[in-house]
Amino acid sequence: MVTCTGCGLLCDDIEVVVENGKIKETRNACRRGAARMRGCMNRLSPSVNQKPSDIKNCIRKAADILRNARSPMLFGWSNSTCEAQLKGIQLARKLNAAIDDTSSFCQGILIEKVLQKKFRTCSLEDIRDKADVLVYWGSDAQDSLPRHLSRFSYFPRGESRQRGYEEDRIAIAIDVRESNTAKICKGHFYRIPLKGDWDFILALMDALSGKVPSYDSKKMLELASIMKKAEFGAIFLGIGLTYSIKEDFDILQKLADMLPNINIMPMVGPYNMRGFNEALFKETSFVNRVKFDGKASHDSSYSIVEALRNKSIDTLLIVGSDPLSSLPRSAISHLANIPIICIDPCVTLTSRIASVTIPCAYSGVENGGSAVRMDGKVVELTKILTTNFPSDEEILTRLTEAL
Amino acid sequence: MPIDVGKFLKSPEYEIKITTYRDIFQVEALERDRFGEEYRKLSACIMMGRNDLKKMGLKAGDRVRVSNNCGSVVVEVKETKREEPGGLAFMVNSPWSNALVSGDTGGKGIPEFKNINAKVSLVKDEVTTLESLIGIFRK
Ligand code: SF4
Repeated sequence: MVTCTGCGLLCDDIEVVVENGKIKETRNACRRGAARMRGCMNRLSPSVNQKPSDIKNCIRKAADILRNARSPMLFGWSNSTCEAQLKGIQLARKLNAAIDDTSSFCQGILIEKVLQKKFRTCSLEDIRDKADVLVYWGSDAQDSLPRHLSRFSYFPRGESRQRGYEEDRIAIAIDVRESNTAKICKGHFYRIPLKGDWDFILALMDALSGKVPSYDSKKMLELASIMKKAEFGAIFLGIGLTYSIKEDFDILQKLADMLPNINIMPMVGPYNMRGFNEALFKETSFVNRVKFDGKASHDSSYSIVEALRNKSIDTLLIVGSDPLSSLPRSAISHLANIPIICIDPCVTLTSRIASVTIPCAYSGVENGGSAVRMDGKVVELTKILTTNFPSDEEILTRLTEAL
Repeated sequence: MPIDVGKFLKSPEYEIKITTYRDIFQVEALERDRFGEEYRKLSACIMMGRNDLKKMGLKAGDRVRVSNNCGSVVVEVKETKREEPGGLAFMVNSPWSNALVSGDTGGKGIPEFKNINAKVSLVKDEVTTLESLIGIFRK
């Protein structure tokens, strides 16, 4: 059995069939996981200024660029092992660089609140064994964490939930779209208008405190009653909700305080985003957007989006991420002005415009290490295939030495 | 020879709100080959409910230009399989949707990935290629 690094669930029940040094078949993995384990068609090759090179020379060149940078940023990290992430944080310290990860424009705020113990939370095993009420809020788990419902929440038998979804569990979806997850939550789908989460929370709080909610009162009272009666419930918070309420998490905290039997769990897409958030939090008390300068400062201007918009960085080292693909084009024109160093197993949109590209092994397939599951559990990754590509951890070590 | 007036007329533009979502088949294609045809086909599209399509005189398979002051892309129209309340279109999260997302975050660093205002109009142009989306970034 090996662990899949396709998403933040880190399923550890995957069987693989290896043939001629390649993964021929996977068992138990979902489509996303199977694709991740088989790997991409376009492996990255070492290059300097778009010309073929070797890894040694690329690392030397990357070190030159970083040495001459006045305000570098190190970005990515959510697809790296914990060991590589620690190396990245050390490198940022050494360079007095800014460091940020993809949680900066996704679930970072929420993960920070969980690490600060502002919300009651639990493990995925607790959910599987005990949960009777499951609320997917702004989260289409079926498409983004595909085995969430089947391994941990709605479908499995659990210690105190012998009859699973047929009798013992209720799944609820709150979303602007009738997602594939919402489809499963038959009769318990609450469709909200775009940006309607805030009003929905207020109405739910009214219903919970016995007032007549201003908004869809019949359905709201029904939802409040289900949530109140929960013996052990969970709200799975997706980016739909995070993007909608942004920084106003106090209101969510007030809602959580009214529901003592309900746990809050951020849904984490990339396999080790939480690992990076926890590591940086341990060192600096912040989960992302940090600038080292003798001390660690935190500010939204150190977020990848603002740093690119404000053109406040002069070099970007990217590990396992593709900002040219995942960020708004209107925010990232600065990528055309600065040297970019890309460390990735595959060719990405960003690697196509990078000054230096350094190919690395696929973590969880070609190198081992550890990662933090979406609920905070540390999971070991297995090396399944042998490769000549160094791990990102090794590249970062060699890069730090070359400096 | 009669003049083909239609040739000079611009197709009507319709204001639309777009939200983005994730799709497991598209993510699968991304893992395999983000430059591949499959990924483009599953990404460069906009989904709308039947009533909205009717209102705009569009049908599945048409190509539309979706544009706003952040950018403009040509994508294929698809019809949602479910009943929709209307007024909201869906694009899977991808470089095509990101061409339309505003970079203005009010200084907060979180763009409005799921809340896009744009105009849609029927076109005959080809679907925007990934290469053309990267083009301007080349050094
Ligand atoms: S749910 Fe996530 S971790 Fe599990 S097999 Fe699918 S991609 Fe891999």
